[in-house]
Amino acid sequence: MNKELEHNFVELLEANQNIVHKICRLYTNDRDSHNDLFQEVTIQLWRAYPKFRGDSKFSTWMYRVALNTAITLYRKSKRRVKTQDFEGVSFKISAEDYDDTIEEQLKLMYAAVKNLNDIDKALVFLYLEDKNYREISETLGISEVNARVKMNRIKGKLRTILNP
Amino acid sequence: MDQLELLKSKWQQQEQTHPTLSYKDIYKMLLKKSSSIVKWIFMISIAEILFWIVISFLTPESNKDLIQNIGLKESLSIISIFHYVILAVFLVLFYLNYKKIKVTDTAKELMANILKTRKTVKYFVIYNVLGTILAFLYVNMYFYTKKTELYTLLTNGNKNYAAIPAESFTSIFFITQLVVGAVFIGLLVLVYRIIYGILLKRLKNNYDELERIEL
Repeated sequence: MNKELEHNFVELLEANQNIVHKICRLYTNDRDSHNDLFQEVTIQLWRAYPKFRGDSKFSTWMYRVALNTAITLYRKSKRRVKTQDFEGVSFKISAEDYDDTIEEQLKLMYAAVKNLNDIDKALVFLYLEDKNYREISETLGISEVNARVKMNRIKGKLRTILNP
Repeated sequence: MDQLELLKSKWQQQEQTHPTLSYKDIYKMLLKKSSSIVKWIFMISIAEILFWIVISFLTPESNKDLIQNIGLKESLSIISIFHYVILAVFLVLFYLNYKKIKVTDTAKELMANILKTRKTVKYFVIYNVLGTILAFLYVNMYFYTKKTELYTLLTNGNKNYAAIPAESFTSIFFITQLVVGAVFIGLLVLVYRIIYGILLKRLKNNYDELERIEL
């Protein structure tokens, strides 16, 4: 029974682990803290897994647990993102699309998102993951209206960061 | 917000830079947690031993004179040598536990090692608390058998002691010793409960998780 549970868990995590990696990349600055956070998220997921009833999609549940872990750890350490490290992130841009300014804009935007506070970051992350407001509100445990209002405010914040 | 939409359009194309996870990786993650807790136990025990050594250097001269004059110096030296030998043994045990947990690669072995580490810590705490109580009792019983010398020695050098009338000196001195000793031991137990209590609880949690994986 437990072997089966574990087997299912590992399979699901393997299939969805890119989500966790993206969250780690957003909330940490170097490979070590990335791995630490990944480990912590895995342990939290494994701990919570027996309670996962399958009411929601595995990935939705995973977003919730992973973001909560990232936010809690981030609060504990009280470390703010000061230096930007772009080594961890790279985007595939096809040759015909390739353009220095696009690359530059992507990096600036990514840096701006990284500099948001932990909660805002979670919201933007889900937005970038192409979740609709209903899914965002479910994952973060806020109302749909609240999610929309917050997202608009964050867009404003990002605008001021990028165009001071 | 063009840039945000741009980032969103490229978001799913972020390159995967991390390898995939397997059961072994998850297990290793739990293992890493245990070994770092055991490492902390090892480090804290070193810090604790250093702390006591520093404290012994900070003992005021008047106390050393008293111990010398009343004839406790030899027996206390023997006790402290004995104490340091035992501390060294514990240090080695903690180090061995740490080493072992680091190289373990089956869940069963790791569980056995976690239990062993918990036991070592328990013995370490029991030894320290009991040792402190016994040393305290020994010193005070010795003082009691030599209470007249103690009175002369203490009142000679110190005006505060001289102000206490001779007939009530014995009871005042030993009641104070008892209260201070009890408070000290209480604090010691409290500190141990907090520091090692937290670490042992975490180890216990890991143990429970391993049990879930294993059974």
